[in-house]
Amino acid sequence: MVALVIALALFFDFTNGFHDTANAMATPIATGAIKPKTAVALAAVLNLVGAFLSTEVAKTVSGGIIKEGSDGIQITPEIIFAGLMGAILWNMITWLKGLPSSSSHALFGGLIGAAIAGIGIHSINFESLMQKVILPAIFAPVIAGAVAYLCTKLAYALTSRHDPESGGKLTQKRGGFRTGQIFTSSLVALAHGTNDAQKTMGIITLVLIAAGLQDPGSGPQFWVITSCALAIAIGTYSGGWRIIRTMGSGLTEVKPAQGFAAESSTASAILASSHLGFALSTTQVASGSVIGSGMGRRGTSVRWGMAGRIALGWLFTLPAAGIVGALTAMLVQTGVVGVVIAAVAGTAAVLYMFLRSKKSHVGHHNAVEVDQAGQAVRFRKKKKAMSVSSSKDEPKGGL
Amino acid sequence: MKWLELVQVAGATLVAAVTVVVLYSLGVRLTAIAGDVNERKPSWVRPLAYVCFGLCGLAVLFGLYLIIPYFSK
Repeated sequence: MVALVIALALFFDFTNGFHDTANAMATPIATGAIKPKTAVALAAVLNLVGAFLSTEVAKTVSGGIIKEGSDGIQITPEIIFAGLMGAILWNMITWLKGLPSSSSHALFGGLIGAAIAGIGIHSINFESLMQKVILPAIFAPVIAGAVAYLCTKLAYALTSRHDPESGGKLTQKRGGFRTGQIFTSSLVALAHGTNDAQKTMGIITLVLIAAGLQDPGSGPQFWVITSCALAIAIGTYSGGWRIIRTMGSGLTEVKPAQGFAAESSTASAILASSHLGFALSTTQVASGSVIGSGMGRRGTSVRWGMAGRIALGWLFTLPAAGIVGALTAMLVQTGVVGVVIAAVAGTAAVLYMFLRSKKSHVGHHNAVEVDQAGQAVRFRKKKKAMSVSSSKDEPKGGL
Repeated sequence: MKWLELVQVAGATLVAAVTVVVLYSLGVRLTAIAGDVNERKPSWVRPLAYVCFGLCGLAVLFGLYLIIPYFSK
């Protein structure tokens, strides 16, 4: 059982990775700042690095939503197994639909559903649920969106150039933002690694403790950290092209300055929230930023229909993952046969969705139609490169 | 309810993002001015652009320093 849960947790980490590549890399791909393949490779490496940087989040994974400890209920590996099943299936469904949705919410939803079915409704700490999941879900896109809106306005105001005499527009020369995007999107990928790989580490550690294979209260072991980091990096590298398409071109048309502003806001919001202990979802922050920056640039329209679909997806994340988690928990309770049925059914569902995705293939070659436009824009950059030739070796280094 | 933490996160996000974006935008703008052909411009424009990019990079590095527990402990 323990081995099964660990395998499932690593697979969840993998889905988490490819689901969230879009958060960091959708906008630079859309503006043509980085080539799609290079972008996912970069994101994968930074996720790997990020996963090793911090293990703070790993210690508080279920975050008190399910009452645990001496006066509460002991979480069993079975519950975690069921919860992971719910989270993975929901991640696969939203990926198939190309919807960016929070992997952590899927995980919480699955665990909650499994705990309700397996233990009872009293096992859920609703106040904590409200505080840690529902309110952040409302505020994350609002905060990120507002900051991205302001930053986009600022970026455009500071770089808009008019002829002082005639008042006519000069060449705007905003090509530098494309270079900047490489750095900001890398920062988002790094932040993602420090956040999301942790959740799986936390889960595996929880299972090991529950099974009595590790001392309670100790941090994740080294092989756990390594395998989680690798799983999320491989997931990121395989690239959730469908979601990249939605984020990069489905919500709004992204220009380099906008992308730069959106990514700076995303990175700041994620890093600030993970540092100050008010957890925000990476996906929701990133989507909010893209929408906010879309509103900030004049002449851009935000496709609210798509935004609405995404928001609807978020609403369904908790209950949907919860229901799958609950069903799995009930199956698992019947004994070994139930576990086998659940595992087989889950694998079959994942395979089915994978095969269906093959019918309308979305890969790095066609993920973002804007890639065409990106090349056109890159063409213009060459002209710019002559007049701003030395902008590439600017002392922005480090990172 | 952790309203204070919420406000803190919102504020930190705002300050960090605005700092980075303003510095970088200034850098972009100054590079653009420095690159203008047929226009007289002070000689400090290009170095100042680099200073802006440099400060922006420093701001990011400082943020990383704050966040990575290995350094701040």
